Amino acid sequence: MGSVNVICLRAVTVHADRRCLLDVDCLCVEQGGIVALMGPNGAGKTTLLRVCLGLVRHAQGQIVVLNENVRDLRGARLAMLRRRIGYVPQLLPARSELPLTVREVVAIGRTARIGLFKRLTRRDWEIVDRWIERLGLASLADRPFGAVSGGEQRKTIIARAMAQEPELLLLDEPTANLDLGWRERIVETIDQIYTQTRISVVLVCHELEVLPPSCHRVALLESGRLVSDGAPEQVFTETRVTELYGDGLRPWHEAGRHALVPGGHRDD
Amino acid sequence: MLWYRGAIEMIDLVYWAPVMAGGALAGASSGALGTFIVGMRIPFLGVCVAHAALAGAVFGSLFGLGGQLLLLPAIGGALLAAFALGMANPERVSLDNNILLSFLFSASMGLAFLGIGLHGIFGKSDNDVRSLLWGSLNFCRWEDVWLMGLVCAAILVFVVLFFKELRAILFSRMEAQAVGIQVGLVWTMFLGITAVTLTVNFQTVGGLMIYSLVSNPAMAAFQLTRGCGRVLLLSAFLGLMSGLGGFVIAAVADLPSGAVIVLLSSGLVGCAALFRRYRGG
Repeated sequence: MGSVNVICLRAVTVHADRRCLLDVDCLCVEQGGIVALMGPNGAGKTTLLRVCLGLVRHAQGQIVVLNENVRDLRGARLAMLRRRIGYVPQLLPARSELPLTVREVVAIGRTARIGLFKRLTRRDWEIVDRWIERLGLASLADRPFGAVSGGEQRKTIIARAMAQEPELLLLDEPTANLDLGWRERIVETIDQIYTQTRISVVLVCHELEVLPPSCHRVALLESGRLVSDGAPEQVFTETRVTELYGDGLRPWHEAGRHALVPGGHRDD
Repeated sequence: MLWYRGAIEMIDLVYWAPVMAGGALAGASSGALGTFIVGMRIPFLGVCVAHAALAGAVFGSLFGLGGQLLLLPAIGGALLAAFALGMANPERVSLDNNILLSFLFSASMGLAFLGIGLHGIFGKSDNDVRSLLWGSLNFCRWEDVWLMGLVCAAILVFVVLFFKELRAILFSRMEAQAVGIQVGLVWTMFLGITAVTLTVNFQTVGGLMIYSLVSNPAMAAFQLTRGCGRVLLLSAFLGLMSGLGGFVIAAVADLPSGAVIVLLSSGLVGCAALFRRYRGG
């Protein structure tokens, strides 16, 4: 019996300004799996996530997400699909004057879930508070979102996505612009969420260090094309790293963690 | 309490009651909408709506409408501009909302001036048009107050029905869309209700006062409290106090009411900023 896929992309292309942003022959993500989408800047990682959310209207090909053909959906039906997907964007609203508290931002996840003309119930607020507690944000719950640190804002957005009770979690560079300490805390958080809930996760990242220990599959994109798909050790070989980043780096894999460290092959 | 009695005696309450009510309602409605307008960094919306309403009124006048009836094409013009902004997805057109607003502002101003020019060519008077958009609070009458009350009630119903969606859009329109909130519907309704409210308030109390009542109470509220609901209520209250208090001060001191209302609301922003700094917030 075949496994169930939460994402299945076939012959998907996205063009903009006569430039190919994405050209993926086949990429599927199994239910309950965690996949990292990696590749250099401009490889098409974020575009691929946005295609899955139905945010790229001119995408071509077969895009099936949570058994829905995304290209066939419009308006309320597309909104219904998005409510089943937790999305953590790369860029966060950075307006210091935003009056929303951390708790209110997390509650946006419930707003999407319950739909129009309904008020958030006590159960909704319990779910919001549970995720605030689980991600260690309880002491910040009543502080303005704009006043907490970048790492705390990331955690807030992850809590918001999880409060939505999604079937699929899409994380777009969740550790972008964070220091090493916060990067590790976010990686740990993603790992915990995945191991505890077994939700399907697609994680976009640049660095091997960001792969959580539970992630055993990497899909590597380059110039919009899927060039490799497999275990991190298989995808990030010394040859591949040299092709991608030049001679100065070599891959390091140990105890489920991965990194690129200085000291690659030298010709001289 | 001598000053209080003195103030009451100086104001002819029967004559000035609709003026005070108008100031309070304009302040409360503009203050409430200002929470979202300032929070989304689109204060230029007020200027854009004013000129779109002017363009609508000018062409209404050209087609023979006059007096209070000019409010209808003015609202039509304002709604057209609002819906044009609502339909333009900033991401799809790769332009920020403020840039779109500046385009709509210049286009509607061009139309308004064309219409005013055509008035001269066709030998028509444009006095009705000018008084419609640059009204004065001192001439506010009960019929204006009823209209403003109706608009306030519409805002109240809209905010109660869509508060959680508005809060999400205030946080990030793009993110709200990505998580499955029907942003297009709520955003367009918000722009529509803003266009109608501002146009009704413009013709009653004047443009300068409305610009200040849209932005100043919200800016003060942002300094003083946190949480979307509390900011919304405080902003509406500060708008109401600016409209009402400004008029009372102006009447007692025999000063122009519009200017005093604007200065009072500006003073509130300054006081709120000082309070926040003193509190260390």
